[in-house]
Amino acid sequence: MPRVLPGPATRRRHKRVLKAMSGARAARSTLFRTAKQTLLKARAYAFRDRRARKRDFRGLWIIRVAAACEARGVSYSKFMGGLKKACVFLNRKMLSEVAIADPAAFDKFVELARPHIAAPA
Amino acid sequence: MKTVNKCYLAKAGDFAPRWFVVDAAAVSESLGRLAVRIATVLMGKHKPIYTPHVDTGDFVIVLNAGQVTIRGNRKREQVVYHRYSGYPGGLKEITMKAMLERHPDRVLREAVRRMLPKNALGRRMLTKLKLYNGDQHPHQAQQPDPWPFN
Repeated sequence: MPRVLPGPATRRRHKRVLKAMSGARAARSTLFRTAKQTLLKARAYAFRDRRARKRDFRGLWIIRVAAACEARGVSYSKFMGGLKKACVFLNRKMLSEVAIADPAAFDKFVELARPHIAAPA
Repeated sequence: MKTVNKCYLAKAGDFAPRWFVVDAAAVSESLGRLAVRIATVLMGKHKPIYTPHVDTGDFVIVLNAGQVTIRGNRKREQVVYHRYSGYPGGLKEITMKAMLERHPDRVLREAVRRMLPKNALGRRMLTKLKLYNGDQHPHQAQQPDPWPFN
């Protein structure tokens, strides 16, 4: 069989991979073989972290709402439980944004939740 | 309908860090519990603007840092601090008791340091902790507020 030389398709594919990985470090941005491995791994991380992002942000909002609650002398869990019983169904993202943008409104949420919080036995 | 998927992220300069002053000798909480509170304030986790990649924390001045409450009769002998110089045989050990005599402030600083993030931001946060062994501090100009806990 005659020897086959890399043609335009191969060149295009290599260029595409190297361009995508142009921001990588050292050999990962210049050598096709390592660049391709990096690209596969990068896409795997990206897929995983698009899902992880939703959890990360929820965690951040919980930290923020907890901070706003503690400053008003309520624990986060008691506050969320009390709000639910008071039929306030705002999510943690909105509660945290309210706590930052309008602390007075957050005071009101705490007052709404307070009557539903059982006194410690 | 187009929804806006955004949430507040603090930027440096968005907020003014506050200063707090706490007298370790007058606090009823023990070493670890006080360190938790201090670490929380240094990290900014006591504020709703807390943002993980920005230092949103406040400054903490501790007076009488060496007189922090340490519970347990044997704790002073049992707790040993290690550091390693990198050379063979370069492991230094010092008990809490000896540390309290030699560097009274380091016991609380070490407790707080271990509770902060182990990265460049965590190291920067630790610089906002000002420990003094006496009941005086040179930060009058920052007009520190009294410790809001306890």
